[in-house]
Amino acid sequence: MIRLGLRMAVAGGRAAVARLAIIGAAVAIGVGLVLAALAGTTAVQRQNAHYGWLNSAHAEAATGPSAADPAWWAFREDYFRGRSIARIDVAVTGPHAPVPPGLSALPGPGEYAVSPALAELLRTTPPDQLSERFPGRRTAVLGRDALASPDLLIAVVGRTPADVAGLRDATQLTRFVSVSPEHCLRCYVGTGINGMALILAVVVAALLFPLLIFIGVATRLSAARREQRLAAMRLVGATPRQVATLATIESMIAATAGTLLGFGLFLLLRPVLAHVPFTGLRFFLDDLELTWPAALLMLFGVPIGAALSARLALRRVRMSPLGVMRRVTPKPPRAWRLLPLIAGLAELTWFVGRKPYTTNGQTAAYLSGILVVMIGVVVAGPWVTMTGSRLLARLARRPAGVIAGRRLADDPRAGFRSISGLALALFVGSVATGVITSYVAERGDSAATPIIHNLMTVTSWSGHGQQPLDQASVPPSLTAVPGVRAVVLIRDNPQIDKNDPNSWPGLISCADLTRIPGSGHCSPGAAAAQVFPNLVPPYGGSVRGGSDPQWPPAPEVPLDRQAVIGVAVDTDGSPAALETSRTLLENAFPQVDGAASEGDIRDDSTRLLRQMQRLADIVIIASLVIAGCSLAVSITGGLNERKRPFAVLRLAGLRLSDLRGVVLLESAVPLLAVSAVAVAAGFVSAALFLKSQLGYELRPPGAGYYAVTGTGLLVSLALIASTMPLLRRLTGPASVRND
Amino acid sequence: MSAALRASGVELSFGATPALRGADLTIATGEIVAVMGPSGSGKSTLLHCLAGILVPDAGQILVDGQRIDTLSETRRSELRRDRFGFVFQFGQLVPELTAAENVALPLLLGGVRRKPALQQAREWFDRLGLEGLHGRRSGELSGGQAQRVALARALVGGPQVLFADEPTGALDSITGEQVMELLVSLARDRGTTVVLVTHEARVAAYADREVIVRDGRVTSFDTQEAAA
Ligand SMILES: Nc1ncnc2c1ncn2[C@@H]1O[C@H](COP(=O)(O)OP(=O)(O)OP(=O)(O)O)[C@@H](O)[C@H]1O
Ligand SMILES: [Mg+2]
Repeated sequence: MIRLGLRMAVAGGRAAVARLAIIGAAVAIGVGLVLAALAGTTAVQRQNAHYGWLNSAHAEAATGPSAADPAWWAFREDYFRGRSIARIDVAVTGPHAPVPPGLSALPGPGEYAVSPALAELLRTTPPDQLSERFPGRRTAVLGRDALASPDLLIAVVGRTPADVAGLRDATQLTRFVSVSPEHCLRCYVGTGINGMALILAVVVAALLFPLLIFIGVATRLSAARREQRLAAMRLVGATPRQVATLATIESMIAATAGTLLGFGLFLLLRPVLAHVPFTGLRFFLDDLELTWPAALLMLFGVPIGAALSARLALRRVRMSPLGVMRRVTPKPPRAWRLLPLIAGLAELTWFVGRKPYTTNGQTAAYLSGILVVMIGVVVAGPWVTMTGSRLLARLARRPAGVIAGRRLADDPRAGFRSISGLALALFVGSVATGVITSYVAERGDSAATPIIHNLMTVTSWSGHGQQPLDQASVPPSLTAVPGVRAVVLIRDNPQIDKNDPNSWPGLISCADLTRIPGSGHCSPGAAAAQVFPNLVPPYGGSVRGGSDPQWPPAPEVPLDRQAVIGVAVDTDGSPAALETSRTLLENAFPQVDGAASEGDIRDDSTRLLRQMQRLADIVIIASLVIAGCSLAVSITGGLNERKRPFAVLRLAGLRLSDLRGVVLLESAVPLLAVSAVAVAAGFVSAALFLKSQLGYELRPPGAGYYAVTGTGLLVSLALIASTMPLLRRLTGPASVRND
Repeated sequence: MSAALRASGVELSFGATPALRGADLTIATGEIVAVMGPSGSGKSTLLHCLAGILVPDAGQILVDGQRIDTLSETRRSELRRDRFGFVFQFGQLVPELTAAENVALPLLLGGVRRKPALQQAREWFDRLGLEGLHGRRSGELSGGQAQRVALARALVGGPQVLFADEPTGALDSITGEQVMELLVSLARDRGTTVVLVTHEARVAAYADREVIVRDGRVTSFDTQEAAA
C-alpha cells in the first residue's frame, strides 16, 4: 500500500511533480523561517543573559557568589564614531574582590581590560582619539562569558577607590549578577525579550501566512485529476481507509522532504542570520541555536500536521467510486466575516489615549491589535470578493462581466484564495510604511542642522545634583586640535522656571552663539540667550525654527559669574576632530557623563527604527514574491481544471476576447476590491498606532511605497495577462475531447 | 439455477430527482443480461446499486442470497474488490500507473504482493491481444486498447460478476465488437455473470436476456413487446 502510494505520488506526470515540488519548497521556506525565528528567540535570550553583569549596579536580585571585599563600580556610556562603548570604572578594596564573568580578576589601578572588538579598535586608532581615554595599560581581554555580541565595546578600567567614589552613580558591590535585564526594571543595557519575541512573531506570521496560502493553492493544483484517480481506485475496491492512506502518504512526502530541506536552509542561513543585527548587535553563532524540543517538534510536527490536514481535507468530501461528492454546496459568505477586522480596529482605537505604561504592555497591545486586523483582512476577504462580484454582475453589460460575476459570486472563497497572499503583503506593507514614514517625518533628519553631528558637548546636570564644571579644567589644547573651530562655555541659568516651557537650564552669550553655525540666534536686542546645554532644541519643545531656532533672552544676571555647566566644541565634523575632542573633554571632566554629540544620542534611538524599516522592507518584498507565485500557480491551475467548460463555451460561440475578459475579471475583481480593503485597514491601523503610542498624525507615504505597491499590483495583473496566450491553446477544440 | 444477483423494490432519489422507483431484477449465476432503455431512465443507477456502489433508499440488494445494502462502506469495497469486476465507458484507468499496474490494482489492494500480482496481470495481456503494452500509461493507449486493459483488470481477480456500463460506448463499431466478443467469450469460459448496460441493440445481441429500464422500473423485453 505504502509502495503503491509512493509510486503514484512520484509518477503523477509533470503537473503532479510540479505540485509536490511547489509544496515541498514552500514547506522548506516556512520551516526554515520558523526555525530561524525560534533560534533568534533563543539567541536574544542568551544575549540578554550575557548583558546581565553590566547591570550589576542596578540589580534588584543579585545572584552571583558574594565576595568579602566590596568593589567600587561606576558605569557610563561612551561613544566612538557612532558606536556605544560601555565603560566601567572599578576599584578593588581588598584581596577578596568579586570577579566578573570573562575575567580572572578585576583590574587594579593603572590597568584596564577591554572586549576583543574594542581591543581591535584601540589597535587601529590613533591614541589621542581613543586609548587616551583609558588611563594605564591594557592587561586583559574580556572572555566570551562577558560578551553578549562579538561587536560589543566594553572597557573595564581599574582606578583607586577614591577616584571611582567621586564618579557619577558610583556604588559598591560584593557580587555580579547574571540576571537578564528582562527582570530588572531600571536596567538600561539589553533588550526587552517579550518585545523582541512579539516582533519576531509578527514577522513570522506576515511571512508564514502567504506561505500557507501558497501551500493551499498548490495543494488544490490538479486536485480534480487526483480526485478522479482516487475515485477510480475506489471503483475497483479500494476501501475508504486505503484511499485515505494514499492521500496521506502523498502529502507526507512533500512535507517530509520540505521539512528536511527547511533544516538545511536554516543551517545554511545561520551564519548570515548571526550577522543581522536584529537587536542592534550581531549574535555569536553559538547563541543562535535551536533547542532540542523545538527542533524535534518541527521535525516530526510538520509531517504529522500535513498528514492530519490531508485526512481532514478528505473528510470534507466523500470519495465515492463515481467521483467526488461535495457534502455541501458553499453557502455565500455572511457579513459576520467583517467582525474580526472591526474588532482589531476597535482594539487599536481603544488604546488611543490609553497607552500602556510599560514597553512590553505597549508591544502586546499594539502588535496583537495589528495581528487581529491582519487576520480580519483574511476572514473578510471572501465577503469583500462576493460584494465586489455582485456589483460587477449587476453593472456588467458584456457577457464576460456577467459570466465572471456569476462565477465569482458562486464561490467567492476560491476567487479570494488566489489573491489573499497579495492582500496580506499589501496590509503589512501599508502598516509598516505608514508608521515608519510618519515617524521619520517627525523625528528624522529633516530637521537636522550641522551641529547635530559637529558639536561635541559635555554637560553637568546641576538640576540632577551634579557639581558644576571647573572652568580651569577646560584643556587649552582643544583649540589646537585640527578641525576644531570654536570652544564655548555654557553657564548655569540661576532663574530657570520649571513651569515655563520656554525656560532653559543653560545660558550663552550671543557672541558665542554666533560662533557656532546652526546653533540658532538670539532674540532681537538680547546680549545672551537661554539654551538647552547642547544647543539643540529638544523634541516637542517650544523653540521652533528648524535649522535656525530663536532662543529666548537670558535673564538679567552677570553671565561670567554663573557656574559653568557645559563645554561645547564645534568641529568640522571629521571623525578625528570629534573623537580627539571627546577624549580631551572626558579626561578633563571624568565625573560627569561622557562627551557626546546630539547625533550620538539620537543614533541610539533611531538605530532600532532603521532596523525595523529594513526588516519591514524584507518582509514586504518577500511576501509580495510569495504572493505573486501563489497567484500565478492558482491561475494556471484554475485554467487547466476548467479548460473543458471553457472550450465548450468557445465552441458554443463565445469569442476568445470575451473568454479573456472572464479570466481577467475573475482575478482582477477580487484583487482590486480586497487590495483596497487591505491598504485601507493597513493605514487606519498605522494611524491608530501612531496616535496612541506617539501622538503623531499619519503622514502620506513617500514615492517608494507607491512604487512598490504599484509594481506589485501591476506585476500581478501582468501575471494574469500572461496566462492569456495559454487560454487560446488550452481551450482549443481539442480540449473538448476526453483525455 | 440459483440467483447470483437480486434487486427487489429498489428506490433511489438524487435530491428531488427519483432515479429508481421500485426496480425488481433477478439474474442467475452465469447469465449474461443486457440492460437497455432510454437515456436518463436509471440504467446506470441500477447497475451502481447492484454493484454496491450506491445504497438504495428503499428495497434490497442480494448477492448470492446475502443482503449487501446493509453492509458498511468498507465491506462493500472489499466485496467489489474480491467478487466483482467493472468495465465502464472511459476514465477508469489510473493515469499515474502503467497498464500492467492498473490491471494488478485489485490484487495489490487485496494484499497480494507486488511481484506475483504483476505476473498474474501480465498473463492477461497476451490473452487480450495487448502484447508489449504493459509498460504504457493510459494516455499512451488507444481507446480500444484502454478498454481491453480495463477488461483485463475487471477479470484478473476471477470475479463472480462483471459489471459493464456502455463498455463500447466510446469506441467505433469494429473495435467495439472486438471488445464485446472478448468480454462475452471470457465470461462464458469462466461462468461469470455479466450485467451489461448498453444503448445498442447490436451489443445487446451478445446477451442471453434483455431487460428494459423505463422511468426507474424494470420491465422485461417480452412484456414490452406484448404491450406494443
Ligand atoms: N449524481 C446525480 N445527481 C443527480 N441526479 C442524478 C445523478 N446521477 C443520475 N441522476 C439522475 O438520475 C436519473 C437516472 O440517471 P442514470 O444515470 O441512471 O440514467 P441512465 O439510464 O444511465 O442514462 P444514460 O443512458 O444517459 O446513461 C437521471 O434523471 C439523472 O439525471
Ligand atoms: Mg448511464
